[in-house]
Amino acid sequence: MEMTSCCSVFYFRNELAVLQALSSTVQRDPTASHYRFQDDPYLTPRTASEFKLFSLSQESGRNAAKYIINTYPNFFLKDYAEPHIPCLMPESLQPKVTEVCEAGLRELIHLRKVRSAVDMYDRLLQAGTVVSLELTNNLLDLICFYGDQDPVQGDQAEPEKTAEGEVVQDPAPRRKEGRFRKSDSLHRTWRKDNNAERIFHLMPERNERSYGALIRGMVKYGAHSKAFDLYTDMQNNRMAADVHAFNALIAAAPEVRQKYSEKWDLIAEMLKQMNKLGVRPTLLTFNTVLKSLLRCGPLSRALVLQVLGEMKALGIEPSLATYYHILVAFYRQALSPSTLSRTMLTTDLLHSMMDEISGKVFDALDPDDVYFFNYAMNICCSLKDLGLAYRVHSLLNVGDNWKLLGNPSREGFYYGSLFNLVCMMENIGVVLQWYRDLVPSLFYPNSHTMRDLLQALDADNRLDLIPEIWKDVKQLGLATVSGDLAEEVLALMARDEHSPEIQESFANCALAVKAVYGHGEQSQATLDFTASALCNMATILLAAGRTDQAWEILQLFKANNRVPSEKLLDEFLNSAKSGSNSEQAVTLVQMSSSFSLPATARLAQRVEQEFDLSEEQKKALQDVEATSDSDKD
Amino acid sequence: MAAAAMCSVVMSLSRINQRLGVLTLNPVHKGAAYSKGVSVRGRRGGPPSSRPRREAGPPRWEKMTPDQDWTAVYPTAAAFKPSAVPLPIRMGYPVERGVPPAKEGNLELIKIPNFLHLTPAAIKKHCEALRLFCTEWPSALDSDAHCEEHFPIQLESRDYVFAGPSLRNPQARVVTLRVKLSSLNLDDHARKKMIKLVGERYCKKSDTLTLTADRCPLRKQNKDYAFYLLTVLYHESWKTEAWEQEKTVEDMEEYSWEDSPSQRNVLDTLLRMRTLGDSADAAVDTDSVRKELLASSEVQEYAASVSRLKNEGESESSVLQYREAVKKVLRL
Repeated sequence: MEMTSCCSVFYFRNELAVLQALSSTVQRDPTASHYRFQDDPYLTPRTASEFKLFSLSQESGRNAAKYIINTYPNFFLKDYAEPHIPCLMPESLQPKVTEVCEAGLRELIHLRKVRSAVDMYDRLLQAGTVVSLELTNNLLDLICFYGDQDPVQGDQAEPEKTAEGEVVQDPAPRRKEGRFRKSDSLHRTWRKDNNAERIFHLMPERNERSYGALIRGMVKYGAHSKAFDLYTDMQNNRMAADVHAFNALIAAAPEVRQKYSEKWDLIAEMLKQMNKLGVRPTLLTFNTVLKSLLRCGPLSRALVLQVLGEMKALGIEPSLATYYHILVAFYRQALSPSTLSRTMLTTDLLHSMMDEISGKVFDALDPDDVYFFNYAMNICCSLKDLGLAYRVHSLLNVGDNWKLLGNPSREGFYYGSLFNLVCMMENIGVVLQWYRDLVPSLFYPNSHTMRDLLQALDADNRLDLIPEIWKDVKQLGLATVSGDLAEEVLALMARDEHSPEIQESFANCALAVKAVYGHGEQSQATLDFTASALCNMATILLAAGRTDQAWEILQLFKANNRVPSEKLLDEFLNSAKSGSNSEQAVTLVQMSSSFSLPATARLAQRVEQEFDLSEEQKKALQDVEATSDSDKD
Repeated sequence: MAAAAMCSVVMSLSRINQRLGVLTLNPVHKGAAYSKGVSVRGRRGGPPSSRPRREAGPPRWEKMTPDQDWTAVYPTAAAFKPSAVPLPIRMGYPVERGVPPAKEGNLELIKIPNFLHLTPAAIKKHCEALRLFCTEWPSALDSDAHCEEHFPIQLESRDYVFAGPSLRNPQARVVTLRVKLSSLNLDDHARKKMIKLVGERYCKKSDTLTLTADRCPLRKQNKDYAFYLLTVLYHESWKTEAWEQEKTVEDMEEYSWEDSPSQRNVLDTLLRMRTLGDSADAAVDTDSVRKELLASSEVQEYAASVSRLKNEGESESSVLQYREAVKKVLRL
């Protein structure tokens, strides 16, 4: 038999291909919390603040360990790992080269020590050595990137002084992906006596890279007009700026002009010059153009779509940040709370946008990508369009797009608004399905969301699910945040008549709610009893037939200085009548008189008529009537 | 805390007393008895905690639906988590007059390896995902015989996975080479020589030669060494050395009846029987008589049965065959 090719050929596309294929078989588990936590009922976070606390403490533990390894490297030199894992070995953060030379400068630049590098450079110049252009350019890059100050190390956040002289504390850097770190650049401004400018002027020859570095640094730290001056300088020297410098200039354009049309003219001018010099624009260029356009007032609407068209003509694939800017241009007025034109959303831009981008996989190409999903969901909520919201959500589920949702608080907003919309528009079955799917693996609802959920239950007449929801509320720590939820739950339960089993479960739930009020352990947040809450509780308990516990609640009225409603006293009378307990009836009337309720007389009359009273009881009643009469006078 | 407070008090006391030149015993190490007797402020339970102890939440399995995706709950090998597994499992030695302990906090369940991540559903999903990396089985190899014919040599090596600081395992370098001698081109002498050379690496029942190479540190080196060894054995077994002529009867692998004591004995016996019978013909040519006797069928049968007994061992059929042959030879 002829065997032509009887060997099977294995070929791996890359080392991780098998693992990635296997991991693609795993979906999200709806009952589990985030994978980074220990999967144990005591150790998983149950509220949003716990989530933040636990994940931050994990990170801080890691940072602490890294700090110890780097500070005492002599204890961590033995290498157990095979194959060698370089990121687990101690890093040397101190420069090794001590004498004044170019290699020392290079090392300091590599270790990001801005001030020491500038020092070293000055010393090199004093000693007379000529520092190469490339090295000087590297030094300029370093200074401009960090704004002429040392980058903040993780736990050594020193208070920094802003231009106004206030001391601002820098938070520890958080390594969550997609978070736009504004803390560094906002607090630093481009000072007048800058090291970067000084070195720039000291340089014997400057090339485009130096100019570019300086322009970008100036724009980053707020010295916009200076950047434009430098640019004109560059043009006079007949040098061509590169695409990054142009991006920076376009970003700075809205700051240096006042009128909207002038701003746009400046941006257009920049683009023309780019074209003339043959510099090819990138995705970031167009995104910056869009972002600057948003500052140009009413011009933005008209021009934004043109820019998108240009982008496509050049063959650049738009990223989520592009779409975000376009959305802002069109929906910004409609969504702002101050305008009255909320209902005047005459555009269906989002629909056509979703038509275009459904099913596409996006990468993180721009820091503003993370704002898209939140904004889109916000728009869907104002439009009250559930179908559109589902489309946005399905885009999130394509491939790796979920990574573009931003940090956990942004995720919380997104899912919160989605769930609110679903609660408003869908029937209870679908709402509950979403609820079980999203909580607690994807987001922790706040009290607003829970109230929406309760309203949805009410609307669809599924009040029997309230005890379960109350359990969740308690777990989420929302019970004691504000009394509203507890009161609402009690009100919903007390409102209507239900079948006996449901009444039983309601009674148990009411007792659980009661435990939230009153005095818990020391320094636990507790709520004070309110009159309506107590009334509802008593009603529920009476309806379930637990008269003893209902009487206990009556005692609480007095203890907490609350006044029961007349309706409640009527109900108590009814229950006393069904139990033929005249003692209780008389006590009731006495209680109502002690609260000086206007209905006392009526109640007394009722008791006289409906109950068989003994002599002393009748006498007590008459006393009560007398006092109430005298009160009336 | 009470002990620490007492300690500081005692230390200050002792310092004062030392100044006065009075010796005091250090009562701190007397233990609980001392501190309990002196703790006045009622802080036996420790100071009141500033925060109430956090309660454990409900276990996760309460919220799980019966038709959930189990492969998402246990995607990889993980320890047994009683809050995540919805089964009411009990394990361990039964409590006194009771049942084995429940799954919560059960160390026995956590210690043992579990395969909750490899349910049939999970394996099906993995196979579907790995199908991308596989090529088709060659259609020509549709039976064992064909595989044997085209791929006579089988190499076996093992990979070890271990979750520790080091991924290496020294046992992963071992390579085993298996080949059937019938697929090698050996004549009779070469085959016998090969079998003698390899000794107990040859299994007679399955006619397989197994070479295990582990003397080199790397698997590739061991594989090359195994092939080298096979080549050397093959060529050596084809060569005939000068001293192989000195092969004695003890070296023979199997019993051959020619020139054996059995042949001599039976011929002698038969000759003597003959000569007893015909005592008159004294001048008889013994050689030709021997040859004639050898050629006779009874003697051949006897030879066959003796060879069979010696080569294959004793079994009922071979012993019976020997009995028949002897009876025929001795004409009983």
